[in-house]
Amino acid sequence: MKLRSLWVFHLNTGACNGCDIEILDVLTPYHDIERLGVKLVPTPRHAHALLVTGPLTRQAYYAAKKAYDAMPSKPRIVIAVGTCACSGGIFYDSYAIRRESDRLSLEYPRKGGASEFLPVDIYIPGCPPRPEEILYGIALLKGLVEKKVKGEHYTLKELVLPRSQFNAWIELLLRERIRKEIGYFDGYALLEEFMRLVEKSNDPGEFKELVERMKDEVKDSRLRYGLDMLYKHYIEVVRMYEGILAEKKVVLGVSK
Amino acid sequence: MPVTKAYPFEPEEAPPEYRGLPRINPLLCIGCGACANVCPPNAVIRIDDYSTGTRKIVLDVGRCIRCARCEEACPTGAIKLTREFEAATDDRNDHIEVVEMRLARCRNCGNFTDYTERQVQKVLSVIPPGILDFERVRDKLPLCSKCKKSLTIINASRVGGEWR
Amino acid sequence: MIEGFERKFGAVLEKKTLGEKKVVYAPMISQEDFPEMVKFLLSMPTVRLFTMVGTDERPFEDAFSVTYWFADWKKGEILGIRLYVPEDNPEYPSVASFHKGALWFEREVKDLLGLRAKGLPDPRRLVLPDDWPENDFPLREDFEYHSSPPGERGPQHLPKMEGTSVHAIGPYHIALDEPAHFRLFVRGEEIVGIDYRGFYSHRGIEKLARGRMNYNQVCFIAERVCGICGFCHSTAYAQALEEAGKIEVPDRARYIRTILLEFERLHSHLLWIGVAAHLTGFDTAFMKVWAVREKVMQLAERLTGNRKTYGLVVVGGVRRDLLDYRVSMIEKFIDEMREKFDEVVNFLLSARSFVDRCRDVGVLTKELAREWDANGPVARASGIDYDVRRDFPYAAYPELSFDVPVYTEGDVLARAMVRIDEVRESLSLIEQAIDAMPSGPIMAEFDEIPGGVEGISAVEAPRGENVHYVMTEDSNVIYRWRIKAATYNNLQAAPDMLRGYTIADAPLIIASIDPCYSCTERVQVVDVKTGKVSVVNLGVGLCP
Repeated sequence: MKLRSLWVFHLNTGACNGCDIEILDVLTPYHDIERLGVKLVPTPRHAHALLVTGPLTRQAYYAAKKAYDAMPSKPRIVIAVGTCACSGGIFYDSYAIRRESDRLSLEYPRKGGASEFLPVDIYIPGCPPRPEEILYGIALLKGLVEKKVKGEHYTLKELVLPRSQFNAWIELLLRERIRKEIGYFDGYALLEEFMRLVEKSNDPGEFKELVERMKDEVKDSRLRYGLDMLYKHYIEVVRMYEGILAEKKVVLGVSK
Repeated sequence: MPVTKAYPFEPEEAPPEYRGLPRINPLLCIGCGACANVCPPNAVIRIDDYSTGTRKIVLDVGRCIRCARCEEACPTGAIKLTREFEAATDDRNDHIEVVEMRLARCRNCGNFTDYTERQVQKVLSVIPPGILDFERVRDKLPLCSKCKKSLTIINASRVGGEWR
Repeated sequence: MIEGFERKFGAVLEKKTLGEKKVVYAPMISQEDFPEMVKFLLSMPTVRLFTMVGTDERPFEDAFSVTYWFADWKKGEILGIRLYVPEDNPEYPSVASFHKGALWFEREVKDLLGLRAKGLPDPRRLVLPDDWPENDFPLREDFEYHSSPPGERGPQHLPKMEGTSVHAIGPYHIALDEPAHFRLFVRGEEIVGIDYRGFYSHRGIEKLARGRMNYNQVCFIAERVCGICGFCHSTAYAQALEEAGKIEVPDRARYIRTILLEFERLHSHLLWIGVAAHLTGFDTAFMKVWAVREKVMQLAERLTGNRKTYGLVVVGGVRRDLLDYRVSMIEKFIDEMREKFDEVVNFLLSARSFVDRCRDVGVLTKELAREWDANGPVARASGIDYDVRRDFPYAAYPELSFDVPVYTEGDVLARAMVRIDEVRESLSLIEQAIDAMPSGPIMAEFDEIPGGVEGISAVEAPRGENVHYVMTEDSNVIYRWRIKAATYNNLQAAPDMLRGYTIADAPLIIASIDPCYSCTERVQVVDVKTGKVSVVNLGVGLCP
């Protein structure tokens, strides 16, 4: 069915208002959903579609059902905006949420939210979804764009281990360290670069020179600090390791 | 002066720091389940089936709150948050990603243990040389927890002789 | 405050010290002396009721406990009085019978724990859904967090008044952005009485954190308490836990938290200004202000990864760093923002229609604001000089300098001016924080947090003070977490603000409190004719 203009009614079933503000944001000049013909209406009796947000609390269930029944019978479209409306979100098994299905089961796709009591046509996940995501969802409903997500099921047999032995062990230790120094987002990428240097050089003097050269190339003061910390901790771990090996040789020598 | 963007009629990319949909790389995942332990809304779950000996790591993007705790916790860097954000769909099965792998068999009693073969491979690869006797370690793994307990007691109560 | 209290009552108290200026007392004699202690505290001019916590301490103390926390904002001290309430006789003397601001705290404890306050003026159900059975109390330890007992729907509305007809509005209405139900008793066109039913957004967050989350996961659910002041809630929780566990947060992490707290204040105040303009019919200003606000959201996306739920706070620090290029983006943004903001505010205030609708409307006097424990811009517009950033300093605020705008008229225009001045102060604070940012790690190393310790911390959200209280258990789990949002107290003052004004002014007056229903879900209202106090929400609409 070709939809030209879509009049929507906004239904909040107990949300935190993050998604509701993004729905208001999508009406502002930067994103302007009125280009796609969407307008907010004051009553469900004028509406083509419902924009549902929120994880469906027990208190809000009765009124939400009445709002759905008040819509004209064609085309009763339901759009679930936000992770809470798609699947219950982070509140999915609380006592104040209404669920028809079992709360603790491990089935998938994970259940909850608006699909517990309404037949949903389009799911738009996100916490909260960007205004561009909401635009994409409405455009998908109207047939203007193609769907991009696809489910996957992998049963591959091979496992790729990029590093082994000493380098793999020290990578795990350094990973934890850099997370506390400059955070996971920049730190893990920096660690990849550092480990590449570790694998390249065998000589400690050459390694130190390579690290110094990388520090000069990197312009950012925080990344330089991160490299400093990585190098310092690497030297500490190497020293500890050599100490253990030296002790073991002594012990093994005595018992033999 | 109009500021309206041309999206969705022209493509747009999210900024490089954006936290988008998570994706699992099946070549790196070892099935340890660290991501399932830290996920606040339980969007990533770990399902073990002891009759067929498989473990499935299931990621449901429709329940994800995009906090990136899984990316922080993963020891191999298999699960990462991408910059994709176009996840709208009419069928919830499009949001599911499943990685399936085999559980390891206990070499003593033959039942399935509660860890995977890939975890054994990974553990063996991170032992630095010279600290432990590599051959002996490889022979001791894998063991299920019951056999591990009983063999430890048996070995501790022996004086001299071969260890089992 | 603490000295005076100890001098008068010290002999009969058992004391526990939580921090430098924070103590908890448990009266060792009978409960009857308790109202006298509270009256003594509240008689001091700079003491307010901070929050109230009900806990099920049956596993280790064999009774329930009810703790009233008081704060002295001149000295920066926090004092708690803890009553133990036995299970077989769950009653305790009510504070709401003489202090208005305690009413909802006691109604909530009655709903969630089953402890009755003797002399409570309004004993109706507040928090739990209408179809919840009578004798199930969710916050008790023997109640599983996921069990949801079925029940029959039984709303408890007030009976119709003499000579009036009932006009029901909500829960879904064009003027309401969140579900809320109110019934107007009207005589012709005039409203003579109101009854309200809220708590459509009650999601059981405190019980969920107890049921299945560990320390760091609670930071993420705290962020989703409210879509606008979420970062303040997760910072307050992290601070309360860090105080309980004696964890020292690195300096750089404190500064990063401060910068993002001010960002949240910017976007929230700009949202409010746009909505206030919309409610007076000035839609052009609404669109212009939100276009300026869009720049804040886009910058937040580049700094933290998401426009709204930043996800940056963990216990012990922050998760993402501010690299150099991000800092220079912030500097560029502040210069542009100052110009654009001044332009748009001059445009808004040059419209006589907007200014006349706000002037001398919805006046709240200083005495009434004190009685209801108002906080945030509402209190500062009525002459109460209280700001949590200056009086109970946290994060990097002790090292930064800023002014606190205080106006005395108490009308809607004064509240608008307070918020406009605060935006300018925020821009200056962000600049100072960037200039003084130290280097170093961003997360602290710490061992296990011991069980049984408590922490309480407050944060100045854009709406007022958010207070979080935390008590830990062994094995890194939360035992009790109590959230008090800012709008809790401010909405109680709404009836007094509405008295004497017309219905057309009502949405603007309620919007001027900047209510955050998902934080609180509580509203109070005053009956226009008879002076009876009940609970109402007059359809604020776009200001969640």
